[in-house]
Amino acid sequence: MEMKNIAPPILVLVIFLIVWSIAAHLYNMAFLLPNPLQVAQAFAADIDMVMGGLWITFQEALYGYLLAISIGITSAAVMSQSKILERSFYPYAILLQTLPAVAVAPLIVLWFGFEMKSVIIISLIISLFPIINNTLLGLKSTSINLVELFQMHKSSRFVSFFKLRLPAAIPNVIAGLRISAGLSVIGAIVGEFIIGSGSEGGGLGVQVIYAQANLETALVMALILTATALGFMFFMSVSTLGHYLLRHWHESEIT
Amino acid sequence: MIEVSEVTKDFGYVHALRKVDLKIKTGEFVTIVGPSGCGKSTLLRIIAGLIDPTDGGVDKPDDSMGAFVFQDSALLPWRTVQKNAELLMELEDGFSKNERVSKASSALQQVGLTGFEKHYPHQLSGGMKMRLSLARSLVLSPEYLLLDEPLSAVDELTREVLQEEIYTLHKKEKFTSILVTHNVSEAVFLSNRVAIMSPRPGKITHIVNIPFNGRNQKLRSSTKFHKLVGDISGKLRSWK
Repeated sequence: MEMKNIAPPILVLVIFLIVWSIAAHLYNMAFLLPNPLQVAQAFAADIDMVMGGLWITFQEALYGYLLAISIGITSAAVMSQSKILERSFYPYAILLQTLPAVAVAPLIVLWFGFEMKSVIIISLIISLFPIINNTLLGLKSTSINLVELFQMHKSSRFVSFFKLRLPAAIPNVIAGLRISAGLSVIGAIVGEFIIGSGSEGGGLGVQVIYAQANLETALVMALILTATALGFMFFMSVSTLGHYLLRHWHESEIT
Repeated sequence: MIEVSEVTKDFGYVHALRKVDLKIKTGEFVTIVGPSGCGKSTLLRIIAGLIDPTDGGVDKPDDSMGAFVFQDSALLPWRTVQKNAELLMELEDGFSKNERVSKASSALQQVGLTGFEKHYPHQLSGGMKMRLSLARSLVLSPEYLLLDEPLSAVDELTREVLQEEIYTLHKKEKFTSILVTHNVSEAVFLSNRVAIMSPRPGKITHIVNIPFNGRNQKLRSSTKFHKLVGDISGKLRSWK
């Protein structure tokens, strides 16, 4: 990455840290608003615990995300093949999005236990819809001329799907994956809030609850920043994948 | 011989085509001209077998290989020039990998795209995209080629050059050509016969024979050429 790309966000960060420091100084109540340095110290002091939590949350979010990707793309592919299937199932895909996942989470825990499994399922539910929606949109937006070209040469549904519809949908698939990258981490944290102390060790979400109960505000903030960084890492991984797949041909990636 | 008999097409309440008859001889170049929305593209798609007529039918020799050239080139943006030229051979059965590569290369050479094999479509000009689209069809050694306003998006100079190239390919590869265009001088320059369609519901009202032998730049400025363009334009304008 070039300097001109990195410099502006770094500048914003520096300004943000300065404003935060000033605010914390004026407010002068570290247990409510610690300054950036105190957050960094809290992070350093409990680094082993935070890294342990990060590892757990990372796995939960990753499995939830990978499941959402495979289920999302497969169901969009199936729906794209027939109007009847789309009409039958798409409304329920929307319900999945409007479903108050936070409220359903306790039910999931009830069914699947106070285990990582439940957290993964909650992460899956929260990150699934954008992938289905964007992939389906992409699969249905193939240029009519290209569809006719394939039709003219009698290609099967299978061939048309893999040589035309799917590659044409990749920009949309990537857009869906980018939205869901952060959601999968949010889902994992929500899941951890629900299963709480029941889990062994405890991911970042569990640690947030404990730290908050002990009024360790600096640690709460350190944990939040760690979870944010995790979501950001997911996002960047997908962006990199998108760049790799689209770099030669899609407007969004051609420089 | 491609024979269009009494083809009628309705889209709901819209009557697109009314009893269209047209016989195209093997190796002939026929152009269909008509006002916008007269159903000429629909007719071409019916001939291609992409749309079914409401009534009537199209007779083509059994198993004859056809290819369709679209207005916007219809290339796959994620494939290189070489891979785009190989596409139709992947869709049609019976081409080995080696055959695909060598046929694509020679077709690209024919249209002057040698050296651009590794480029992607977005790196090509409109004229080059259309050349690639032609090359992609040529690899199949089609018996007939259907062209749907292929040159409407390129600049005037490129258009004239491409018209000459299309004519040369048509003569050399001996495929039957059916062109749809709204450009009358293009129709006169390329065709053996020009079929004129009326506004919706589309119907072929006149067929004009074009008596020229050979096509070159000089023909465009000849009086005979201008007179034919004028005649056909006059017939088209009479609808308005």
